[in-house]
Amino acid sequence: MGDALRSQEVGTLRPDGNVGTRTKRYGGLERASGAQKYVADLEFPEALQVAIVTIPVGCADILGVDTAEAEAMPGVVGVLTAADLPSPMPRFGVSHKDRPVMADGRVNFYGEPVAAVAALTQEQADAAARVVKVDYRELPGVYTLDAALAPGAHLVQDPSDPTKRAGDALRETNVIEEQTIAWGDLAEQEAKAALVVEDSYSYPMMTQFPIEPLAVIAEPTDVGGLTLYTPVQHPYLMQRIVAGLVGKTLGQVHVIAPDPGGGFGGKQIPKYEPLMAFLALKLGRTVRLTLNLAETTTAIRRAGATVHARTGFTSEGDIVFHHVRIDYQIGAYADVAPRVMTKGSYVGGGPYRLPACLIEARAVLTNTPVSTAMRGYGAPQISWATESQITDGARRLGLDPARVRLRNLVENGEEFVKGEFAGKADGEWKQAVEKAMELAGWDDPLPPNRGRGIAVGIKSSATSGLSQSLVRLLYDGSAIVYAGTSDMGQGARTIWAQTVADELGVPLEKVTVISGDTDLVPFDLQTSASRSTVFMGTAVLRACRDVRRQVREMYAERVGVEPGELDDEPGAVLTAEGAVALDEAARIGLGALRGEVLGQGTCRLEGRKGHPLGGDASFYEFNCSISEVELDAGTGQFVITRHVSVSDVGTELNPIQVTAQEEGGAIMGIGQADMEQLVFDEHGRLLNPSAIDYRVPTYKDVPLELFTSAVENHDGPGPYGSKGMSEGPILCTGAALGAAVTAAAGVKITDLPLTAERIWRATRAAAEGAIA
Amino acid sequence: MSVGTGSLVTVTATINGETRTFTVPGHRTLLDALRSELGLTGTKSSCTEGECGACTVMLDGHAVNSCLVLAAEVDGHEVVTIEGLSVDGGTDLQQAFLEHGAVQCGFCIPGQVMSAEYLLSHNPDPSVEEIRDALSGNLCRCASYNRIVEAVRQTAEKRVSTRG
Amino acid sequence: MVTYYKAHAVADALEVLGRKDVDARALLGGTDLLVGLDDRLDSAPGVVVDLKGLADETPLAVEDSGVRIGLTVTMADLVANPTVAAWYPALVQAAGVVGSVAIRNRATVVGNICNASPASDTAPALLVHGANVRIASADGERVVPISEFFVAPRVTTCGRGELVTAVELPRPVPGTGSAFQRLTRRWGVDLATVSVAAAVHGDGRIQLGLGAVAPTPLLVDLPAGTDLADRAVLDPVLDEALAVATPISDIRAAADYRTAMVRELAARALQAALDSTRRTQA
Repeated sequence: MGDALRSQEVGTLRPDGNVGTRTKRYGGLERASGAQKYVADLEFPEALQVAIVTIPVGCADILGVDTAEAEAMPGVVGVLTAADLPSPMPRFGVSHKDRPVMADGRVNFYGEPVAAVAALTQEQADAAARVVKVDYRELPGVYTLDAALAPGAHLVQDPSDPTKRAGDALRETNVIEEQTIAWGDLAEQEAKAALVVEDSYSYPMMTQFPIEPLAVIAEPTDVGGLTLYTPVQHPYLMQRIVAGLVGKTLGQVHVIAPDPGGGFGGKQIPKYEPLMAFLALKLGRTVRLTLNLAETTTAIRRAGATVHARTGFTSEGDIVFHHVRIDYQIGAYADVAPRVMTKGSYVGGGPYRLPACLIEARAVLTNTPVSTAMRGYGAPQISWATESQITDGARRLGLDPARVRLRNLVENGEEFVKGEFAGKADGEWKQAVEKAMELAGWDDPLPPNRGRGIAVGIKSSATSGLSQSLVRLLYDGSAIVYAGTSDMGQGARTIWAQTVADELGVPLEKVTVISGDTDLVPFDLQTSASRSTVFMGTAVLRACRDVRRQVREMYAERVGVEPGELDDEPGAVLTAEGAVALDEAARIGLGALRGEVLGQGTCRLEGRKGHPLGGDASFYEFNCSISEVELDAGTGQFVITRHVSVSDVGTELNPIQVTAQEEGGAIMGIGQADMEQLVFDEHGRLLNPSAIDYRVPTYKDVPLELFTSAVENHDGPGPYGSKGMSEGPILCTGAALGAAVTAAAGVKITDLPLTAERIWRATRAAAEGAIA
Repeated sequence: MSVGTGSLVTVTATINGETRTFTVPGHRTLLDALRSELGLTGTKSSCTEGECGACTVMLDGHAVNSCLVLAAEVDGHEVVTIEGLSVDGGTDLQQAFLEHGAVQCGFCIPGQVMSAEYLLSHNPDPSVEEIRDALSGNLCRCASYNRIVEAVRQTAEKRVSTRG
Repeated sequence: MVTYYKAHAVADALEVLGRKDVDARALLGGTDLLVGLDDRLDSAPGVVVDLKGLADETPLAVEDSGVRIGLTVTMADLVANPTVAAWYPALVQAAGVVGSVAIRNRATVVGNICNASPASDTAPALLVHGANVRIASADGERVVPISEFFVAPRVTTCGRGELVTAVELPRPVPGTGSAFQRLTRRWGVDLATVSVAAAVHGDGRIQLGLGAVAPTPLLVDLPAGTDLADRAVLDPVLDEALAVATPISDIRAAADYRTAMVRELAARALQAALDSTRRTQA
């Protein structure tokens, strides 16, 4: 197919071009000056403000909802309850259409909407929401993996409901999906092992914590449609899901997605938008929901996990087998969590040459807020265990953990997952390890109380995708690019502007980037899995080349030569007499009526049936991280004295953006390793939604020295040999930091986060054990 | 004395150099008043409990969390928001943010800029450690922390050398 | 709904704060009061009494006999004062880690103690500095040692119709040293998991102020003349003295960790206090 993703047309960097330089962020000044309009900044003077009604438990049957008093409150215009919605309750989802627009007779997680109140002011809506009377009977919900997997456990989803999980062999359990990946003979390999490391690990639930909270504005249109304003990473998915729920065509549902103030995966899948769509249509009024950070924390999270692993090593440090069982704690509904499980566990063996491997993974429903995508997807959870196993094996064999990794790492092109759906290395991964070791001073001796740890991580990127782009070269030599990628901070707009500037020879300041509007911008599947540079980047590149082809043909016709006699290159049409600047050639070609040249580009990757990832990965993100800590043995606190993160990015299209994303990913990874966790009580209530007790890193939690670097071999499938990046630095941070703490403290920690209390407890237990 | 018959308060304050008068309920925060009553949406609302710093503004020359100030409290006082700092083409500090890749999603950046300007107003040549201390109430989930520190350092150096 | 009232004098503030028909709350920096204000004042007609414009209020006053911290003195004001820094190192160290820069520009010392959080940063320091709390009412004034001020979490001896107008610190006797130590979950802005202030007084008294290990901040006296440099002497003394700590387990830490940490921080704070004595003498 002509629009398939392939690597032979990636182009080369122009020595005088913008791509490959530290081009300043597109829209950066607007952001720094406060002029950028996020969803909450849009003015809708006539909009009603909305408050969501919830109950203070995680699992309950709803016996009645009395809205009479609320409806009589000052300023209240309307209240939406389940009774206002079609029957059966409309449900939505990606792989499983299991999530109700609002609680359907039963609350299945803390924070699930029971009603929504619309009033003239937010204060009025909040006051009325507090007097909506919800009569409920608490049920023995399952809030932990142990509870959900226990015999006779309360089932989060009703197995008798024919609309859900029909015909599913797992329907009488809380396991929504499972996956097994296996190759080689474990027993045969175990016989060769000089050492078997066996341990259990846990990875807590966490939250994306975008500083921009969730917000939705739903506005009925004059022609029976609906406009939604939401900071969503996937506007076209939002459009499809909401249109399906409210029974409108795609053309009737207009999604406007202003650039999100951070997403990190949490703004991909609809949350409150379907409810807001029904509310707007019921009232015939514009309605607005603006959450704060704590409410956002309650609404979006990453899956936690427990892992059990057995790993065999020869005395020289060859890994001969790895057996890992992982249960992901997802929420009450599927969202994208089954895919988090399948993609995360696929790389559960790590980027190693393993003669035998068995990976058994399950996605387990619990009565907790719905987990969704987050940077790294399901890989950090399993990497925490697998990489900690490698470190432990090396330590117990008296071998250098970095060199054990180098010894076992696959070469470029070699399989790290074997079998029908093999996964192969697509980069020179050892270079990242060697570079990280050099930057970290890996072999330098450390003072007392210091420890150093290393880990590597991989993650599969998109396995299917479709991105379409339009590029308009205008008569005055300026250009507009339409690209549906959501710029949530990764800098997508900047990359498109750089690409168009170089390919068309247009000055950077004359390129406009349009995105985030389903009425204006052509289709893009989604902004996820670090795909945009590769997929949308290729579509933009093709649209530019389509413009150049058209200019060349128009110009040839005007000057009376055969198009085949001309050629084009970035920014120019090549004639026998020499190069003609593209904008000049376009003006000649367009002639007296002026007009413009409209180029179109598409990039498509079809999935592969039966593949655990849904298809072959378009590329892998590979990262090596090294942490160095100084431990305060008295309190268990540590300072990260140095942290190194090196990722294989193919080509840096914008080195300063690469640095910012790499540092940001590393710091987020550090926070998720040493302080972050969501804690629920025995009623399923979230105890720490607020920023006071859900801690994220501050300036003072950044490593004293933070070094990031990129491996560039121009071997990626994206424009100019690029690969996606941004998730790499978070994949194995936990294991690198954990190994550093182990080295400094002399005890192995198997549970995250690495809090001072946890380290203190482990060292004290070890000391008491030594005495006893 | 009288506690007042209504809960509305009329506030007259200098906002970004202009005298503005507006009427708000007594519990309305400065943050909400700036954004709703005065249309100054550059000041961002996130945690609304003084933990994230996105709503930082200058009150009588001091950085404060506008979510923890009542609009009524600024009657007779002077408030400067991000809009009041900005000039066409951006300030030297804002430009330094761009040069150093400090602006990613951008949501926290107005607050970061306000806190950094406050620091530079009383400590014109801060060390890296002093910058980290001074800005640690401004969360950035993109974690542009080292980028911002570089931008503030560069701005301080330039300003100090310009002033001689 | 909340009514905002700006008091113009202490007597005026007292009158409103004493009224029984409204739920009146004193407003200083607002950094505690304004968090979730709507929810807390939901059921009562609420009045917020702003105390930042009292004509008869004296802010920070430094005298030969000591320092008077008036009710509008912020953490930032306190930290910036060189005499306060020289005389009360523990207090300045504690005030310097309350919240963020923006919080310290608003939060007041008086507000901090009146909020009566068990984890208050300044309370342990004020305890070892021998602070007195001046409380005004329509009937006049009374002065309470800060060791008697805290009653329970969020409760002090300052009742309805009363107002704390100042915290007064006696000038330390020559040779006094003090220090503040706290444990937090991260290195940037955080609430204390455990905090300890220590003072080694020039007259031989040794005191510890403990935060976040009991319903109220605690003041503990160690035997005068205890050899702080000798752990063999100090450890049993600390074990006995710190038995008053009865920490709870919560989202920030488990009780046994707090118990161990208060001991660890006490030893460190005492050492730092001793060091500051030596610095003063040198």
